[in-house]
Amino acid sequence: MNAGGYGWLVLLSPLVGVAFNVGVGPSVSRRAVGWAASLSVLAGFVFSVLALIDLLGRSDSQRAIISTGWHWLSGGSFQVDASILVDPLSAVMLLVITGVGFLIHAYSTGYMHGDREEKRFFAYLNLFVFSMLLLVLAGNFVFLLAGWGLVGLSSYLLIGFWWQRPTAVAAAKKAFVMNAIGDIGMALGIFVIWDHVHSVDYATVFTHAPSQIGAGSHTANWIALLLLVAAVAKSAQLPLHTWLPDAMEGPTPVSALIHAATMVTAGVYLVARMWPLYGLAPDVSDLVALIGVATLTVAGLIALVQTDIKRVIAYSTMSQIGYMFCGVGIGAYSAGMFHLVTHAFFKALLFLGAGVVIHALHDEQDIRKMGGMARYLPYTAGLMWIGALALAGVPPFSGFFSKDQILADALARGDWVGYTVWGLGLAGAFVTALYTFRLMLLVFHGEPSDYARRHGDAHAGHGEGPFSMLWTIGVLAVGALFAGVLEIPGATHGMRNFLEPTVPAHLDPTGNQEFGTSALAVALALVGLYAAHALWGRRSDAPRRIAASTAPLEHVLQDKFGFDRLYDWAFYRPAVALARGGQRLWEDAAVLGSMNAVGSAGSWTSRLLSAAQSGLVRVYALAIAIGIAVLAAWLITGAS
Amino acid sequence: MGIVIFYLAGAAAIGSAIAVIVQRNPFLAALSLILHLGSLAALYLVLQGDFVAVAQLLVYAGAVMVMFLFVIAYLGDRADLDLRRGGIGAGAAAVAGLAIFIETVVAVSDSNSVLTSPAQVADSFGSPQTIGRLFLTDHLLAFEAISLILLVGAIAGVVLGAGDLLPKRPEGAPDEREPRGERYDLRRELQRREHEAESEVGA
Amino acid sequence: MSPGIGSWITLSSALFCIGLAGVMLRRNPLVILLSLEIMLNAGNLLLVAGSRYVGGNDGHVLALTVMAVAAAEVVVGLGLIVALARRGAPLDVDELRSLRG
Repeated sequence: MNAGGYGWLVLLSPLVGVAFNVGVGPSVSRRAVGWAASLSVLAGFVFSVLALIDLLGRSDSQRAIISTGWHWLSGGSFQVDASILVDPLSAVMLLVITGVGFLIHAYSTGYMHGDREEKRFFAYLNLFVFSMLLLVLAGNFVFLLAGWGLVGLSSYLLIGFWWQRPTAVAAAKKAFVMNAIGDIGMALGIFVIWDHVHSVDYATVFTHAPSQIGAGSHTANWIALLLLVAAVAKSAQLPLHTWLPDAMEGPTPVSALIHAATMVTAGVYLVARMWPLYGLAPDVSDLVALIGVATLTVAGLIALVQTDIKRVIAYSTMSQIGYMFCGVGIGAYSAGMFHLVTHAFFKALLFLGAGVVIHALHDEQDIRKMGGMARYLPYTAGLMWIGALALAGVPPFSGFFSKDQILADALARGDWVGYTVWGLGLAGAFVTALYTFRLMLLVFHGEPSDYARRHGDAHAGHGEGPFSMLWTIGVLAVGALFAGVLEIPGATHGMRNFLEPTVPAHLDPTGNQEFGTSALAVALALVGLYAAHALWGRRSDAPRRIAASTAPLEHVLQDKFGFDRLYDWAFYRPAVALARGGQRLWEDAAVLGSMNAVGSAGSWTSRLLSAAQSGLVRVYALAIAIGIAVLAAWLITGAS
Repeated sequence: MGIVIFYLAGAAAIGSAIAVIVQRNPFLAALSLILHLGSLAALYLVLQGDFVAVAQLLVYAGAVMVMFLFVIAYLGDRADLDLRRGGIGAGAAAVAGLAIFIETVVAVSDSNSVLTSPAQVADSFGSPQTIGRLFLTDHLLAFEAISLILLVGAIAGVVLGAGDLLPKRPEGAPDEREPRGERYDLRRELQRREHEAESEVGA
Repeated sequence: MSPGIGSWITLSSALFCIGLAGVMLRRNPLVILLSLEIMLNAGNLLLVAGSRYVGGNDGHVLALTVMAVAAAEVVVGLGLIVALARRGAPLDVDELRSLRG
């Protein structure tokens, strides 16, 4: 069986889980359903590994395998096959999706235990994994779009999982609508591609793109821009980012899987996959990097003032994906993908660790009510520190290697885009360290709040949480620690070499550039750690004093730079007004009015006609006489 | 001669007809109608419809009008109750009637009538023999239909007039009534009578 | 010398219209019946006149049929009036309108 075959097996594994859930699920226990779902994803992981092994056994040029299942759509010249593409890029994504996905499924069996609708949760989760795999494995644009839309659907279903909560439902709708904007962008992009290349197949499009779509032409720019809209919406970058913080209404495993490790990284994957097209539109590529830079800065700043533990991590995700966008925007595709992989580990670790804390504190998420949790949850605290250090980019944790790779490549690129990315990326590293350590210090260290003390003491002796939650974050911590091994500058180039055939590396930073960048980045991270300790470590007055003196700035940050308000006024209110106006004008007046008019016309006519049935014989006779007179006149005058 | 009678009888017919519709008292109206029927009989005679004329007098004026007078007599005061001419649609009624008359006149005067003079007819035209023969040969269906209609009319008269006095049906659903008697069987009836006769002889 | 069919038609139609006016204008059912008789007789007159001018006795036969039917109809009408009177209903067609729709 070659990689293509394994690819199909990977794709189908979560569906088996869904089938089990729907078919047999109602009659088995919740635990059984949870385990079946997890095992189906584990099977997917196994097949992904087998596919990887197969790929590694081939020479570099042989590593793009397109496996066609059957002829799917056929309409005149529009032919679409059901084909999947297994190559190094998709193999990397497969491993991340199924690997981290399996761990999160196993975690969920503990986290969602006791929830009455646990089985539905696992069905949705499996559906999501399938959708994401479809997106990644797609061999043509139609499958890509299908996976794209299904992922958005799964996200909606999972964010709104606790549908009794109005905030959750609103957040789900917000996420879906913004993702739909992205779907439109992608669809339009595919239309333009079809218009010029007359194929939706990856292989055909990529080989013919340079000839059919000139480099730097309007068409190339439009295609890249439209696909970028989709990427921006899915990855929650500026300006379509407002849905991600609200998406934290969903259960924590959902936040970890969808809004950290996989779905939001789909935008990065898209740009990397479409690198031939982005290579033809360098201006739009620069735009990708600039969006990434803007997002990482804005998100980092907002994260400094958040008080909900999950929202801090959400903004952090937004910021880190900004880094990834920078990477793929400047042409450092393998660097961006590398950061995607390491980020999946440590961000999922952070989210799931936060889930342990939330679980221990009975669903309390406000960090102002926490503190000193390290004494109650030492294992979790330790693992979260691993994640935090990886996030801040401290060696030897994985985040250090991946983030600095991007920054070094930016420096190597050299033009104003590269320098902007380098400069703001380093500044962002400082901010990242600042908010990350703020979070850790406020949650785990210092004096516990009364609330934390009460719950912590109640839990003492119980263990920190269900075992399934604990071993899974342990595995993630290992990944967060050691994944950096894949791409140590100057030593190993595993990631870059592996991805070379599908996403060639254009940039090659010198040793000096790499060393200098890394040194600066680490220095900034340590400064950030110290600053965080100074501000929040000892529970001093400092944060409040600083906040008071920079009140306007804080206000802006608290308002999340006004994006929500802007969108509310620009889009939501007009739409609601339009709907209300439409209801009053069209539905009430025209539709209901016309129906009522038909009814009342009928009764009015009948009332009018029933006047003829007066019951008076003489009137009847008169009517007959008049009729005769008229008829006779008509006949006499010879009218025909 | 015919014309003179035509005009005289015609005038009488019109006058008595107007009298019928104008009179308040129904008794006088009925009498006017009798006069009207008589004028018509004269007109029929002008038209050589002897049998019809006589039938008119005997049947219409003699029987039907007498029935009318009987009923008027029976009703007495009630017939005179609250009579007012006019009411709903009087004006329109007059207009309609006038319109029809005028239209007919217009129609008649416009056409060049082919029937300006009467057809040649045999002496037996309009005689009872001719009409009787027609009834029993060409128009036999009409004859039979008439007899049926008259039967129905008679029954209707009895039921409408004296319906209260007819024996009533028993109340209730058909099943609740007394069971119908046995079917009439001649042999059983004769045997029953023999038994009665024997018992009589014995007694 | 005879008047010509036109005169007969005129006369007949005049009588018909008089009877029609009576039916439409009077409220006493008895008088309405009488007016109805006038209308019927006008028709009879035209029938007999027509048969005289066209030839053939069919008009007479039809006139006799009409007469018989009119007689039966008068029986029914008078019976109705008698029944109404016995129930005490007002003998005014404007009041008798329970069949209004």
